[in-house]
Amino acid sequence: MQNMTNNIMLKMTDIHKSFGELEVLKGIDFSVAKGDVLAIIGPSGSGKSTMLRCINRLEEIDSGKIEIMGRALAENGADGRAEYVDEAKSREILACTGMVFQQFNLFPHMTVMENLLEAPVQVKKRSVEEVRPEAEELLRKVGLFDKRDAYPGRLSGGQQQRVAIARALAMKPEIMLFDEPTSALDPELTGEVLKTMRELAQEHMTMVVVTHEMAFAREAASHVMFMADGVIVEQGQPEEFFAHPKQERTVAFLQNML
Amino acid sequence: MDNLLHTITLMLEGTQVTLEIFCITLVLSLPIGLLAALGRISSLKPLRLLMEFYVWIMRGTPLMLQLLFVYFALPMVGIMLPDIAAALLAFVLNYAAYFAEIFRAGIQAIGRGQYEAAKTLGMTYPQTMRRIIIPQMIRHVLPPISNETINLVKDTSLIYILAMNDLLRVARTIVQREFDMTPFVIAGVFYLVMTFVLTWAFKKLEAHYAKYDQ
Ligand SMILES: Nc1ncnc2c1ncn2[C@@H]1O[C@H](COP(=O)(O)OP(=O)(O)OP(=O)(O)O)[C@@H](O)[C@H]1O
Ligand SMILES: [Mg+2]
Repeated sequence: MQNMTNNIMLKMTDIHKSFGELEVLKGIDFSVAKGDVLAIIGPSGSGKSTMLRCINRLEEIDSGKIEIMGRALAENGADGRAEYVDEAKSREILACTGMVFQQFNLFPHMTVMENLLEAPVQVKKRSVEEVRPEAEELLRKVGLFDKRDAYPGRLSGGQQQRVAIARALAMKPEIMLFDEPTSALDPELTGEVLKTMRELAQEHMTMVVVTHEMAFAREAASHVMFMADGVIVEQGQPEEFFAHPKQERTVAFLQNML
Repeated sequence: MDNLLHTITLMLEGTQVTLEIFCITLVLSLPIGLLAALGRISSLKPLRLLMEFYVWIMRGTPLMLQLLFVYFALPMVGIMLPDIAAALLAFVLNYAAYFAEIFRAGIQAIGRGQYEAAKTLGMTYPQTMRRIIIPQMIRHVLPPISNETINLVKDTSLIYILAMNDLLRVARTIVQREFDMTPFVIAGVFYLVMTFVLTWAFKKLEAHYAKYDQ
């Protein structure tokens, strides 16, 4: 049991979040253990992105508790509203997370290599000579070593997304967050990105992936979570989840996806 | 012939004053404009309002009035500046305000995805601005900055009213003395050469920045 709690990389407890009048997250609880690949699925507007963005403080929760590798990023104060740790602490806690966006968000004024070097050099203050071999290795891994001197604007969407994954990995994160990484891609380009993600999963990277790719959720994920209207409707292991969904809403959603 | 040479020599001296005002104004107003732009988008409301007010005043009143104001009003409250410093003060304040508006629009045109990517990589706000946002902004604002810079060349002629011997004033002095319009034509040619060189330089810059475009 002791060992198990030590393995918890991310723990979200009773998360509530509203945008003005609109309550988007209505009490979310889940945790992710080391090496887990959690796929989050659900209809549009159900709060998946918001939930993911709350993990790394791109959005701030109203109440609840967020723990990352055993350290609280936010927890409720006496008034029942979430209080965040200060900026420096927050940065330190979140240093072990990396994120990949639907729109890639590469830095267009930097080459592929410069995109990878930027954060290790600027944030971690490491030397370019030290980081470059690691960056080259990552680019080889995602199959884009020969594009290292190209600008992102010259790459296909699939290539850009693989660079974005490599860029996040260059910071050596322990947890990778993906927000619909293939949704902005032409169908024929999703495969190469999913392949990269599968390889990452096989290397036991802890991953939280919001996705519409049911095949990926079924085959690469260790856990699947179905969200609707700001709550977790159902979660489980993919075989069980896809073969025997228990909730009506899940059944309806899965039928729609096929 | 000797006369023409003499005229041109005098006018080159005037050009020197013009270029001096131009260069110093540009070198000072660009960074000040950038700081003002950052102030205008700052999360500190008082700073934001102050910068908005400053830009509003500077863009809402004639540069000529600002020049006269600095030139005549400051001595009245006991601040004695050399002529050229007074002129520069007005020019820098005015141009920094215009540049600030251009920079602000350029910064705000950059999507929040860039900020978010930088944030998730652990970059601080100053790092994000310096390394990610401002370099991209510069490329977007080159055309309007180029326009303003060319305006500045021409606006330097306003110091004419402050009795400084810039290109235009030298030209007028000679015209009045010799009843000959040639100096005006020469002045026109000099201004054209300056704006032409600037246009060319900005084209080069734009081409340089276009390298990461599709
Ligand atoms: N910054 C925001 N301000 C106001 N409302 C927002 C904001 N971000 C999201 N919302 C709203 O919150 C709800 C949940 O949005 P969210 O993006 O989390 O959904 P999602 O499950 O990721 O949907 P999709 O599958 O379309 O990406 C939506 O109704 C959305 O309009
Ligand atoms: Mg979403």
